[in-house]
Amino acid sequence: MPAIITVEDLNKHFKVYKHHRGILGPLRNLFSRASSLVRAVDGITFEIKSGELVGYLGPNGAGKSTTLKMLTGLLVPTSGKIIVQDQIPWKNRTNYVAEIGAVFGQRTTLWWDLPVIESLDLLQHIYKIPDDRFQQNLNEFRELLELDTFLNTPVRALSLGQRMRADICAALLHDPKLLFLDEPTIGLDVVAKERIRQFIQHINEERGITVLLTTHDLSDVEKLCKRVMIIDHGKLLYDGKLHLLQEDFGGKRQLIVDFMENYESVSVEGGTITERDGTRMTIHFSSQEITASELINQLSAHYRIRDLEVREPDIETTIRRIYEDRLLEQPE
Amino acid sequence: MRLFWELSKLAFQRQLTYRAATLAGLATNFFFGMLRASVLIALFHGNSEIAGMTITDAITYTGLTQGTIAFLSLFSWFEVMNSVYTGAVSSDMLKPMNYFNFWLAQDTGRAFASFLLRGLTIMIAYAIFFDITTPQSMPQWLAFFMVLILAWLISFSWRFLVNLAAFWTPNALGIARLAFILSWYMSGFLFPLRFFPPWFVKLCYLTPFPYTINAVVEVYLGLVDGQALVGIILAQVAWILMLILASMIALRAGVRRLEILGG
Repeated sequence: MPAIITVEDLNKHFKVYKHHRGILGPLRNLFSRASSLVRAVDGITFEIKSGELVGYLGPNGAGKSTTLKMLTGLLVPTSGKIIVQDQIPWKNRTNYVAEIGAVFGQRTTLWWDLPVIESLDLLQHIYKIPDDRFQQNLNEFRELLELDTFLNTPVRALSLGQRMRADICAALLHDPKLLFLDEPTIGLDVVAKERIRQFIQHINEERGITVLLTTHDLSDVEKLCKRVMIIDHGKLLYDGKLHLLQEDFGGKRQLIVDFMENYESVSVEGGTITERDGTRMTIHFSSQEITASELINQLSAHYRIRDLEVREPDIETTIRRIYEDRLLEQPE
Repeated sequence: MRLFWELSKLAFQRQLTYRAATLAGLATNFFFGMLRASVLIALFHGNSEIAGMTITDAITYTGLTQGTIAFLSLFSWFEVMNSVYTGAVSSDMLKPMNYFNFWLAQDTGRAFASFLLRGLTIMIAYAIFFDITTPQSMPQWLAFFMVLILAWLISFSWRFLVNLAAFWTPNALGIARLAFILSWYMSGFLFPLRFFPPWFVKLCYLTPFPYTINAVVEVYLGLVDGQALVGIILAQVAWILMLILASMIALRAGVRRLEILGG
């Protein structure tokens, strides 16, 4: 499969001016404009192949949206190379955006005061979509995204979930081969999230549309993406299969033990005690070193135990560990 | 072309839906028109003519200027600026369309609706309450409409250019307000330019503003014709081309340095 997106050593730096504080602060701002450089995106390289569904993951302010804005041609990089479908996004923007679909979850591409259907009609003229193609797509998306109940409602009166569905429909009417989704499930309830995820999966599988989606909702990634890229502080920390990430950094399993009495010192082999609160103790262990039953046998041989619980690491914890402990950062 | 039509149509319909605002605007425009007419009548103080204008001309002048306020968005027009500040501009940039034409199309619909609802109606009201003049011949009517449309194109491209300041500063509203106030004086909106001293009029003619309201008024009242009229039309076209060119250059530069606000 050929690469549909190629990104090489991409940088976006912003200058942020420092503001002086206090009553005379604004006055001092006029004369001294100390600035600092923020590296929103700092030397990112990756490639996405046609037909992939990739999750782009990172905490707030990690550089996800900045990357996406550069990929959609909204921002010009400070340096580096981006080739998307053989085009450079910010050069000849009008041509480029006709070939892609993009949804920025926090903002609508539809007209605020127009009924949904009129916005969609307008998009037909903007993208110059042939009538039959437009009708065909619209009919399919109406059904899949269940748009019918609010097609004649002005966009400003839609619920967040409805608006998101309308926006996703709007981004796909002109048959783009590539879809960028920035936080498509942000602020939605479980049902609405699920509906959107199913739709994304559908268009990826049935229409072969390549999808790059940013999110900080891990369940999006778990359900949709085989491949994830993790970004933090502008750097790409991980790029690979989701399940490998889990195996490598999946952190430890936890054994939570309630003892019958308050032992003064407890020693465990093959695990580490991370927390102790009276008679309750949390032990972290990894499956490669010791099995849960070995650990439990070991403990029950020496101590009297009231209750036990084994907790599996979830992807959320894994990712949090990666962010917090900076597990993936290369030594500089 | 189809898109231009659709966008104009929507903007036109949007104007029609604001019925209360239209009525309020009309009432205000008419009230201030009467006020300005009485000030001018007092100014004439029994004279039959000042600077080539009769008292009827002067009254008609207030009607025309009040009638063009909405048509030319003379008091304020910050739509492009707002779309930069709310970040809506990024949605528009994601669409394969010419940004200038996108706004021009919408302003076409808006201006046409304003012409009907706020221009024509005021002139009719004036005709009922005052003694006003009208163009005397078919060619004069045609010249008037031509100059009027060109005046709108100047006004739009100038407004668009001013709004682009939003790409450079997070608070371009001050600049824009000042520019609008400047245009009231220099376009002959507050007073006919003929009433001002020659040095000021010369200064005004270094800007596009006299080619908006002042030109419209003078052609309607029949104060210019023949070569002078052709000169006005040519100057209007020249200004339109210059302003559009400047807008294109500024837009290119602005988009390049755009850092979309609000995430």
